[in-house]
Amino acid sequence: MKTKQKKIIFSLTLLLLPLVCSPTVNAMHIMEGYLAPKYCIAWGVLCVPFLIAGFLSIKKTLAEHRKALMILAMAGAYAFVLSSLKIPSVTGSSSHPTGTGLGAVLFGPFAMSVIGIIVLLFQAILLAHGGLTTLGANTFSMAIAGPLLSYGIFKLCEKLKVNKLVAVFLATALGDLFTYVITSIQLGIAHPSEVGGIGASIGKFIGIFAITQIPLAIIEGIVSVVVMIGLESYAKSELTDLGYFKGGAIHVK
Amino acid sequence: MILIDKLCYTSKLRYTNPMIKFLFAIITLILCVAVRSSVIACIVLITTAFLTIQKGGISPSHYIHFMKLPLIFLVLSTIAIVFNISPTPFSAFAIPFFHQYITLSRASLLSAVQLILTALASVSCLYFLSLSTPITDILYVLQRLHCPELLIELMLLIYRFIFVLLEISNSLYISQQSRLGNVDFKTSCKSAGALMSTLLVRAFKKSSFLYDAMESRCYDGTIHVLQETYPVNKLHILYFVLFELTLIGLSVYLGR
Repeated sequence: MKTKQKKIIFSLTLLLLPLVCSPTVNAMHIMEGYLAPKYCIAWGVLCVPFLIAGFLSIKKTLAEHRKALMILAMAGAYAFVLSSLKIPSVTGSSSHPTGTGLGAVLFGPFAMSVIGIIVLLFQAILLAHGGLTTLGANTFSMAIAGPLLSYGIFKLCEKLKVNKLVAVFLATALGDLFTYVITSIQLGIAHPSEVGGIGASIGKFIGIFAITQIPLAIIEGIVSVVVMIGLESYAKSELTDLGYFKGGAIHVK
Repeated sequence: MILIDKLCYTSKLRYTNPMIKFLFAIITLILCVAVRSSVIACIVLITTAFLTIQKGGISPSHYIHFMKLPLIFLVLSTIAIVFNISPTPFSAFAIPFFHQYITLSRASLLSAVQLILTALASVSCLYFLSLSTPITDILYVLQRLHCPELLIELMLLIYRFIFVLLEISNSLYISQQSRLGNVDFKTSCKSAGALMSTLLVRAFKKSSFLYDAMESRCYDGTIHVLQETYPVNKLHILYFVLFELTLIGLSVYLGR
């Protein structure tokens, strides 16, 4: 039994080796120039209502508290820096978190959509993650769909009286997975497969990127839980500032 | 700290008019993505690489390093597009796989090459912009294009804060490393979480200090900064218009 297990592990390692050797694992930004113009425009248009809602909610918050601009900007910079931090990885290659799930839980999904598009723009220009033409598609998957789901799960868990840390884990990990599924769907629609069309293509994208994205989501979930423990234990007073963002999930009573 | 940001300030094209650089990059990018032809992609790739390396003075080794950044995504997604699982083998290549075939056709191979070239050419357009134009100049262009004031202000602040936070996170990381903070998986999870939560707390403290500082300097909701002015070079405009017209002409010719 034991030798058999060893054999299975060995062959699995061999199979995964080429992917493990890849230098860095990032969130799955769609690369510049990878989508045809009609998809770029369509996804961009889909983002507009969310962005307007976010923009208006920020404007309203700012009218009440001018200080909120600084906090919002710090939140944006935080989301950017988060995505450039190294998080531990099982494979040995360095991987970087998405950070949007945690952002949504901390700052609320609508503020996150506006911050998200700015962060994605900076990531495209400064880090070459994603691109200008694919900004709409990336914004939809990373700054709107993922955060909304994360936030929804977090609120649902709160209603169901699930342990807060479990809720944070579920929200961030599932938010990450959802982002990756949406990205796969976007790619699948844009590049339908020769046999089986869009559905088969989506399946292929989900299957191939699973190797990098599923471990990433789980680890990001774990790390977010540790972040939450840290914040709850020694940063309660700072977190009161987050109360400005009405949508934000942590309200300190 | 962010290599692209550092290099763009040293570029020889740093002081050319940002509007022209921006329009050149964006219009070329749009043409490249819209036309999707290998010929156009090659022309764009060569032109932007020449401009960035020769005119901008970015070292070729850096440039190649940057072109390799999106490689993982490119390789993985091209595999997903090209390979099919089908009961019948296709024209180019096939291996049997559980009574089916992992297979690909010549046509899809060709379109994959075209896709890769287009993607690389678009990335090179993006690099032309980001390796010659600092964010502050891009914000100036956005302002001229009537982007909402609030967004520009937010971007300016975020851009500034990124470096503040990167510095903090860097020193936190170094001190964790020097205390064996990343020896094994469990410790490194703990360290990563501690780093992120400390970073957030520090970020809020900083933002609070910053607000006080700005308030005491009569901050009333808008940040006023002096803009640098960049002379417009007529020759650059001529080159820019000629290049875009050639590209458009060529794409119409190829499209027929």
